[in-house]
Amino acid sequence: MEIPYVVTPRKDTGLFNSKIAIWLFLASEVMLFGGFLSAYVFLRLGADYPWPERTLPVLPGLINTFVLIGSSITVVFAWASLKLRDWRKFQLFMGITVGCAMIFMVLKGIEYNAKLHHQALKLKDYSVVEGHLGVESEDGKPVLNHKGSTIEENLIFVEASKLTFDTVRFYKPWVEELLAQAEHHHSKVALAADVTAITKVGQSAEIIAKAGEPLSVELLNRLQAVHLAARSHNAANRTEALRAEWVTAKAANPGKKDWQIASGVNIDTAALAPTLLGEISTVPFSVDPPAKLDFHPRDIKAAEGQSRLRDDTVIDGKLLASPMVFHNIDAIDFQHLVMKAKEKGIDPEVAIENSWLMKNSAFVREAWAWHQGEVKKLSAELLKAHGVGKDGKPRYTPTHKELYRIGWKDLAKKAEDDGRTKLSGVDAAKEEFFGPNYKARGDETFPGLSVPREQVGFASKFTPAWNTYYAIYFAITGLHGLHVIGGALVLAYYLFFGKKMYLSDPEWLANRVEIGGLFWHFVDLVWIFVFPILYLM
Amino acid sequence: MSSHSTAPAGHDAHHDEHHHDPGFIQKWIFSTDHKMIGLQYGITALLFLAFGFYLMMVMRWSIAYPHQPLPEWMGWVFTDGWKARWLQDGKVTGETYNMFGAMHGTIMVFLGIVPLGFGAFGNYVTPLQIGAPDMAFPRLNMASYWIYLLGGLIMCASFFFESGAAKSGWTNYSPLAGFADGQVVNQWLAGQTQWLIGLVFLITSSLLGSVNFITTIINLRVRGMTWMRMPFFVWAMLVTGFLLLLAFPPLEAAGIMQLMDRVTHSSFFMPSGLFTKSEGLADLSGGGSPLLFQHLFWFLGHPEVYVLLLPAFACVSEIIPANSRKPLWGYKSMVYSVLLLGFLSFVVWAHHMYMTGMGAAVSTFFQTTTVLISVPSVVIITAMLISLWGGSIRFTTPMMWACAFIPMFGIGGLTGLPLAFNLADLHLHDTYYVIGHFHYVVAPGILFGFFAGIHHWYPKITGRYMGKTLNHLHFWPSLICMNLIFFPMLVQGMAGFHRRWYNGGDAYLSKAADSVNIFGNTVVQHIDMNIIMSMGAWTMALFQIPFIINLFTAWKFGKKAEGDNPWHATTLEWATPTPPGHGNFLKEPVTYRGPYEYSRPNCDADFLPQWTEPKHLDSSEKPTGSH
Amino acid sequence: MADTPEAIKKSVRTYMFVGAILFVGTIVTVLVATVPWLDFGRHGFDAADCILGLTIATFKASLVAFIFMHLNHERKAVYWLFGSGLCMVCSLAGLTALALGDPIIDKFFYSGH
Repeated sequence: MEIPYVVTPRKDTGLFNSKIAIWLFLASEVMLFGGFLSAYVFLRLGADYPWPERTLPVLPGLINTFVLIGSSITVVFAWASLKLRDWRKFQLFMGITVGCAMIFMVLKGIEYNAKLHHQALKLKDYSVVEGHLGVESEDGKPVLNHKGSTIEENLIFVEASKLTFDTVRFYKPWVEELLAQAEHHHSKVALAADVTAITKVGQSAEIIAKAGEPLSVELLNRLQAVHLAARSHNAANRTEALRAEWVTAKAANPGKKDWQIASGVNIDTAALAPTLLGEISTVPFSVDPPAKLDFHPRDIKAAEGQSRLRDDTVIDGKLLASPMVFHNIDAIDFQHLVMKAKEKGIDPEVAIENSWLMKNSAFVREAWAWHQGEVKKLSAELLKAHGVGKDGKPRYTPTHKELYRIGWKDLAKKAEDDGRTKLSGVDAAKEEFFGPNYKARGDETFPGLSVPREQVGFASKFTPAWNTYYAIYFAITGLHGLHVIGGALVLAYYLFFGKKMYLSDPEWLANRVEIGGLFWHFVDLVWIFVFPILYLM
Repeated sequence: MSSHSTAPAGHDAHHDEHHHDPGFIQKWIFSTDHKMIGLQYGITALLFLAFGFYLMMVMRWSIAYPHQPLPEWMGWVFTDGWKARWLQDGKVTGETYNMFGAMHGTIMVFLGIVPLGFGAFGNYVTPLQIGAPDMAFPRLNMASYWIYLLGGLIMCASFFFESGAAKSGWTNYSPLAGFADGQVVNQWLAGQTQWLIGLVFLITSSLLGSVNFITTIINLRVRGMTWMRMPFFVWAMLVTGFLLLLAFPPLEAAGIMQLMDRVTHSSFFMPSGLFTKSEGLADLSGGGSPLLFQHLFWFLGHPEVYVLLLPAFACVSEIIPANSRKPLWGYKSMVYSVLLLGFLSFVVWAHHMYMTGMGAAVSTFFQTTTVLISVPSVVIITAMLISLWGGSIRFTTPMMWACAFIPMFGIGGLTGLPLAFNLADLHLHDTYYVIGHFHYVVAPGILFGFFAGIHHWYPKITGRYMGKTLNHLHFWPSLICMNLIFFPMLVQGMAGFHRRWYNGGDAYLSKAADSVNIFGNTVVQHIDMNIIMSMGAWTMALFQIPFIINLFTAWKFGKKAEGDNPWHATTLEWATPTPPGHGNFLKEPVTYRGPYEYSRPNCDADFLPQWTEPKHLDSSEKPTGSH
Repeated sequence: MADTPEAIKKSVRTYMFVGAILFVGTIVTVLVATVPWLDFGRHGFDAADCILGLTIATFKASLVAFIFMHLNHERKAVYWLFGSGLCMVCSLAGLTALALGDPIIDKFFYSGH
């Protein structure tokens, strides 16, 4: 028996198999995206920080919408051409569709790339700065690290004199990284003392590794093997000992319950000691001379004197100044600070005046003064356009964002007011797409800023980590992008490998293209909602 | 090529080109035949069930004897190195207990029961019962099995990682689950992350499976198989398919978000100002919502309960009519009930969240729907009971299990009612009462239904019966042990025993006098039940051995089944040769009547199969429907 | 569904027309969100803008679903299959939102006294 209704529809349902399947699949896709959109609503309504509203550049999203709608039309044309048995036209329209998918992904890639290189910083007082980090430089030339790449000025520096590794948990790539850094600074990392341990029961301790042996992953692996063997042996012995204790205790206390005698049942540590092997749970290395090592802030719990990496490596040494240095700042945002101030009943203006930025940056003070003038102008405009309400107050006032955020367009306008570079034409359009053009507008428009480490509250690139808005933005558009890729692959398969099927059973191919097209339209349909929700609201 | 060559090989030239002998790999491993895939699902699921059971046995040791080292008869499974890492002087640690607890739940639900019910029974029986040659998309079907296996192995592989497997409960609540194993530098090698990746695989697998099932049931019904002539089994599978299709994607969304929380340090489910002892103030943006995870999880979680249950209903509702020689009582009301059940299961999820501080309006809504959903379940159970009434019951091996299913599931269902009510739940939430309740549903309930199903369809699969003596040796001890394990849980729970005590309440003994609850109970009064329950669990493990022996020996040495329809049943799977070959039916069957025509008056035999051509074609037996 | 060549040729014109509407709808969405004097409701983004934006999006999405995805010609069964998803997604989004903004909430519990 053959499986029926692969090509022709069944009479009573009126559908062929794959059409039922695709609609079911789309129903589940509705649930998948519905889950994300519910999450969006939930996160936005429940947000305890100022939601970044209308924050993305609209132009890339708009172009992508056009691209997707266009491809949706061409895929329908491709299907119609197949139905009319016109292979050339099918190829043409399907080609355009797949091309649109590629354009969509390229634009998306450009958009993502801009975000992944744009830095945000929330200071301890909840004021926010955005911009681009500088790179370490000497005499105007960038300093290169041991890998030959520039060093972003957002690292924690420690003058390390001793490294103590956890023999079980040490992370190999980090060990290699530390070694390379030390070498770069012409320091030697070597065992601080002889490592000794008992490796056979009843014998005295033997030397596993001699003091002065240089750090290497192989050495750590060797120590790890000794440690793990000893750990296994000792645990087995301890277990046996405890078991024996319980047998004795049970015999001595008939009728008693476990919990009544448990406190008296203990391993006789002294008796057990001779049967145990030596465990080496940590191993110290000295760094000579002490070297300036750098770490990504997320990898290290830095503290004066002794810091700790996430793999439990302990670093002894002086904590060096590790400021976070912006080469260009392109936004100053007091929205969160004001929100926190209001929660505590502090006057927002006072809170802003007292913020670290206002106290330490002349540029921020200047920008803020200029911005207040702009806000006044806007208020006046709104008053003029809409008048006052019944209570005598202006009907419309500037939004929270307009009041407390100085974005890159504001900074650019301020610079233009001051008579600096003005961009127009293609350059201005490019800015709408890629964000501010630091080079053309100059460092006076977007100056630098150095923030001492102790003022850093939370810092991140514009990745999912920055806040829940960017998290859901990346989640939804990323998943949508995967759907675009998947759909384009299927459609491209019909385009490039469909000829044989077209010649043998064109109706079957038309059915398949219809199914693929249904999926493609659904991808478009999702974007129709995603675009306004993420870009315009 | 094998003893299965009685298959209805191509009887027309067109067919032959597709029917060359498949090689070993194609026949036994990468098979696209729904029956082989069903068996693969079944065997894999039984193995996972055994593994989940083993994890539970270790946990029960920790609960009953928290001060004693794990005995050698359980501990031999582990290497010394593993024991050194995860046991403290041989005793089960809290961390290890949490790991085993989380994985026990996950394995039993996602890797054991669902694949056994939906994957194994659904795959093997559904196409046969609707007279289809195979599933609508055989290769998709194969893909769903392999994706399931891959997901399961990924999850279980994490037991061997330095971080161990997931430890945050099978519900994997954030922020705990977002944080656990955070010290692992390469997050892709953390058990907690592996759990999420495995889950995404499992969800994909059941998504493909459910699309396939629903399409098959809608479009591949044979001539005359109208909706109301479909066996109840098929209806249950259809509803299960829809539950999987629509309930799983929100969990997939939640899984992806939690994965991002772990790998990209986002804060979907991480609130502001999160502080931990080891890490201090979390280096996260915060601003997320732990409750969001619970909503998305339970949006799946509750329909999932019915995904577990409906296949068991399905098996039992086939076995009872066949063995009481009576039509299934109230077939139509059962069908409508199962549809209603499916719908309602989507709007009850937040009864798992009464204690999260939801508002009264939402709590009341969910309380109402939860109480409502018990109505269709009770209709189905009642219909099964009435189907027994006045029948000439044959206590065959499947029938014993089916009969035990009804009261055991009944206890499970009824003990759920107090949990449906807000106020009662305040007292019972997170106690052993909850554990007792849902284990009564799943273990002696659903699993007994599946044992019934295995015994029932075994003669069709192999041509032989499973042994009676071995079955008695399996059935009675299992029945007794199940109750020994789970009934004391209800008592302990009402006395306030918390479900996550890794040492069974031992830590509270010293403060027993201070902790008298409103009923005057203290921990001391009920702590000894731990030992009874644990003994019950280990004994039950022992008495599963007869089943395993039975399952494998009967394949070769069991009593031969008499003909293709040994139970004298009426549904289409018994119209196939034994075992059914590729393509299932020798000639395409036609359905003339409803699925449960037993003891029909004016009929020679006490059963009238769906496929038997009527002597006088009356209007009710027309093979309506398309073809 | 349009299955004869003539019918398909006819519907191609419909597709072009619908495509044009979709382009226009997109531009309208962007304009009402960015041009100050097209701002509905209060100054800045608010519920009115949200409803307007989603209404246009829903209109566009329905065009795609009914014309491009042929739902207007499709069998009833498809409505049931796809509708089941739409129905459940409403349950998910609606009830989670309700849980967040519960009208009867225990102020005492939440105010932390």
